[in-house]
Amino acid sequence: MKAERLHALADAYGADLRRWPASERAFAETLIAADPSLRAVLDQAAALDALLDASPAPTPSADLAARILAAAPKVKTRRFHLDRIAFYLGAGWAAAACAGVVAGVGLTTHVTANERADAVLYQSTLVAVDDTEVLG
Amino acid sequence: MVAIVDPDEDLVRRVGQGDPAAAQTLVARKLPRILALAQRMLGDAGEAEDVAQETLLKAWRQAPKWTPGQAKFDTWLHRVALNLCYDRLRRRREIPTDTPPDRPDEGPAPDRGLLAAETGVRVDAALKRLPDRQREAVVLCHYQELSNIEAAALMEISVDALESLLSRGRRALRLALADMAPGASEGDGR
Repeated sequence: MKAERLHALADAYGADLRRWPASERAFAETLIAADPSLRAVLDQAAALDALLDASPAPTPSADLAARILAAAPKVKTRRFHLDRIAFYLGAGWAAAACAGVVAGVGLTTHVTANERADAVLYQSTLVAVDDTEVLG
Repeated sequence: MVAIVDPDEDLVRRVGQGDPAAAQTLVARKLPRILALAQRMLGDAGEAEDVAQETLLKAWRQAPKWTPGQAKFDTWLHRVALNLCYDRLRRRREIPTDTPPDRPDEGPAPDRGLLAAETGVRVDAALKRLPDRQREAVVLCHYQELSNIEAAALMEISVDALESLLSRGRRALRLALADMAPGASEGDGR
């Protein structure tokens, strides 16, 4: 009965005990230790295992791996922060430019007023000189 | 319920967070495995690539919402890949092709001597001729090295039923490859 079970397990899982149900490995080792002729059961299964192992596993192409990796999840939060930083930097520059325009216009108005006053004073001086000259 | 220890748990979490190095590691670790599964189930390199790609793309979508402790990520990947393989096998049956019906493999003469590559071709051909469920059992247990419990769960059958499929599958393979077994040539009268 026990030998039959050994045959059944070797027929199903092959000779490598690592492929056997964990609960049956010790059973097989004990049985073979008690009756070494049962080793032939595993040897027969090992012949088929060796043939099966001759089937080569395919190697994935670099192109296939690249196509898959191109679709892998990306970090979205970092990209979001970079966008926000770029937005705020742009807004800052725009605000600075507006402030410059306002200040420029204000200063220009102030300077123009002063220059006008200077011109009037200068002209009034000139008029006074001319009057003196005219009146003799 | 006992929590399942998953060696890929940390990797999947990092993939879900968008870590590119983790994605690369996951592809290096799983793509060869899933491609081999699909190739042996379908026997067609192009279709196997499509299945492997689709499986990994589903993994990218699953990673951010993966709940550890319920299943191994590797088992989940196998389930997705097997479903995709079965979709394709079903389609093949629905669309008849000009492929001739399966015949016993005559193969090269046993005294001719075979290179390892030729042996691989013979084994692949013999695998392809197995009934789908027997092939699935052999591929999961022998090539993918899943435990009998994992394989049975994936196939949604009992462990006894799995053992039965494995035994029948291996017996058919042994018969198909009998001329290549050690000692087969001695009986050839040389």
